[in-house]
Amino acid sequence: MPSASEPTTAPATTSPATAPPTGAGTTRRRTADRVVQVVAVVLLAAAVLAFPSLAPNPYILSAGVVVLNYAVLSTSWSFVGGFTGYISLGHGALAGLGGYGTALLVTKAGLPSFVALAVAALLVAALAVPIGFAALRVRGASFVIVSIALVLILLLVFQSWASLTGGSRGLVVPRPFPDLLRPEHHRVFYYLFAGLLALALLAWWMIDRSRFGLGLKAIREDEDKAEALGTPTFAYKLVVFVVSAAFTALGGGLYALWFGDLDPVFQFSILTGSYLVLMALLGGVRNLFGPLVGALVVGIGLEYFKVEFGDTQLHLVATGLLLALVVLFMPDGVLPAIGSLLGRMRPAQNSIREVTAAELRDQRVAAAGAPAAREPVDAVASTAGERAQSTEERA
Amino acid sequence: MPSGALLLQSIILGLLLGGLYALLAAGLTLYFGIMRVVMIAHSAFLILAAYLAWWSHSRLGVDPLLSMIVTVPLFFACGVLLQRVLLARLRAVTLTMMSVLLTFAIAVLIEGLLGYVFTGTQRRIQLGYGSASFGIFGARVAVVKLIAFGLAAVALLTLYLLMKKTTFGWALRATIQHRDAARLVGIETERVAGYGFGLGLATAAVGGTALALDTTIYPSLHWHWIGPLMAIIVVGGLGSVPGSAMAAMVLGMLQSLLQIPLGTTWAQTIFYLALFATLAFRPQGFFGGRLAQRF
Repeated sequence: MPSASEPTTAPATTSPATAPPTGAGTTRRRTADRVVQVVAVVLLAAAVLAFPSLAPNPYILSAGVVVLNYAVLSTSWSFVGGFTGYISLGHGALAGLGGYGTALLVTKAGLPSFVALAVAALLVAALAVPIGFAALRVRGASFVIVSIALVLILLLVFQSWASLTGGSRGLVVPRPFPDLLRPEHHRVFYYLFAGLLALALLAWWMIDRSRFGLGLKAIREDEDKAEALGTPTFAYKLVVFVVSAAFTALGGGLYALWFGDLDPVFQFSILTGSYLVLMALLGGVRNLFGPLVGALVVGIGLEYFKVEFGDTQLHLVATGLLLALVVLFMPDGVLPAIGSLLGRMRPAQNSIREVTAAELRDQRVAAAGAPAAREPVDAVASTAGERAQSTEERA
Repeated sequence: MPSGALLLQSIILGLLLGGLYALLAAGLTLYFGIMRVVMIAHSAFLILAAYLAWWSHSRLGVDPLLSMIVTVPLFFACGVLLQRVLLARLRAVTLTMMSVLLTFAIAVLIEGLLGYVFTGTQRRIQLGYGSASFGIFGARVAVVKLIAFGLAAVALLTLYLLMKKTTFGWALRATIQHRDAARLVGIETERVAGYGFGLGLATAAVGGTALALDTTIYPSLHWHWIGPLMAIIVVGGLGSVPGSAMAAMVLGMLQSLLQIPLGTTWAQTIFYLALFATLAFRPQGFFGGRLAQRF
């Protein structure tokens, strides 16, 4: 935030020795923050890329693929849920459409696997236009209702239309690399999912910094005011919904190519949609890496439950409880909560000096040499510094 | 062309089904009117009531209708607690979205607990009068369906009288219409809102008992109910009780009639088609009032 640091650096050049210590401290802290962020991103990327070599057996590796798939879908969800605040419970269905689209294009139209994936994503994006048109014309409540209806209607259609989709018997998708052994297959798809995740995160980051992203966030904060200020709210919502649908379909299609077997009950499950929401909320929807962190926690938790409790309904109970707790007590997510906790450990952001007035006067006398002439400048400098500090606290 | 008797049978069944839909949609409309909350857990509570009716019949040996003596007050209390303890805690700005997630979480929780306690086995109440039916002009109507419709009709009528004739009903309607103004004239809107939620959940208790009489129940059944119900309240215009009742009757009838040429599965899609058509062409719903404009 350059505007906050400018007034603190300007007086510092006129009298470097008496520069308010807080101002210099903030700039240093910002640089430190940036370094920490870059280091964290590099570490995270290294951890993700190193995982396949560290995984002790193919099962752990396949669990890693599942978690990355969740991370891709949850990040795609947060294009809509994070920027505009419109919560969709139906993204599981968009992923399912991507999966079935890819599978049908491979089996019925004979397209190569990854061409089919791209075409399916485009088709789902095109389908998202009328869906978004119906869902986004009105405010929040109707959007949620449409998103749930989408899952239920697609489940009905894909179960009943057995001649095309195989119905409840499922649909087998030919593997794109038929001569790879299973562990190698997992490894290749692990990197494919990681690449897709990087792409989604990059798109999220670019929107976040753009004017378009600003408009979307304005919708989240107050849609009426955003509209009054000239933001084309409906067009923005529709565009970001279509982008989100395309990424979700890519995630779902890649899953179909990896897993090789589709069943309507799992592809069009409202639970999948709610997992995505839970992951994004848990991690923090306003945060680039929030959905990824949430996917790590929830994805690993889901795998654990599958291993420990098998087919019981306990995973539903755990999901429900966790979702309720997050909504009630941590609606901003884990990352912001940790951030504010760390914020408490930092040097206090206030204007209280840790020196007495007498010591301060002595310091200034020693530093300036000619106290009478320099005094007014010092006063201006220190008040400017404090004001900058307080704007920063508000920001 | 189907025979006249089959058509008549479908119309009667449609009416009976529409009555049940109307009662349940009334509950959803109440929640939405009071707090702008889309209550996903409504149908989960419906199934919970159905399970309690089944349990009281098969384990305690009482008539399922008698289970309402317990479930209706219990659900009323649950509704009051749900509103006062959970929903009132959410931030006002994001209330609509977060309440959806919270009620979704409750629905999943109920489904999971039902599956854990009663297992996923399909259950059905075997009643002495379960297979009894009578004929009118060649159409056969099961007695239990008629009882279910009667329950729904009595509950809806009670709700109507409560809303129109009692002081509490006036206070509740005032709270729905304009909360701040209601508070200004001395209505304790917080308490009234809590009781309103209780009433809404009580409709789920009655509906669940009616449902248990002639339907096979299983824990994940509630997803088959929440979709049509939400479609109904949108088509009727969010927040309008008469609107949702009209939409429930019309759509219930259409579903029943479409079952003849299309079969049960495809007939269900009528609800979603109606939902999308309403939102695309008339987002405020067909019977909607002032409230529906903005949601």
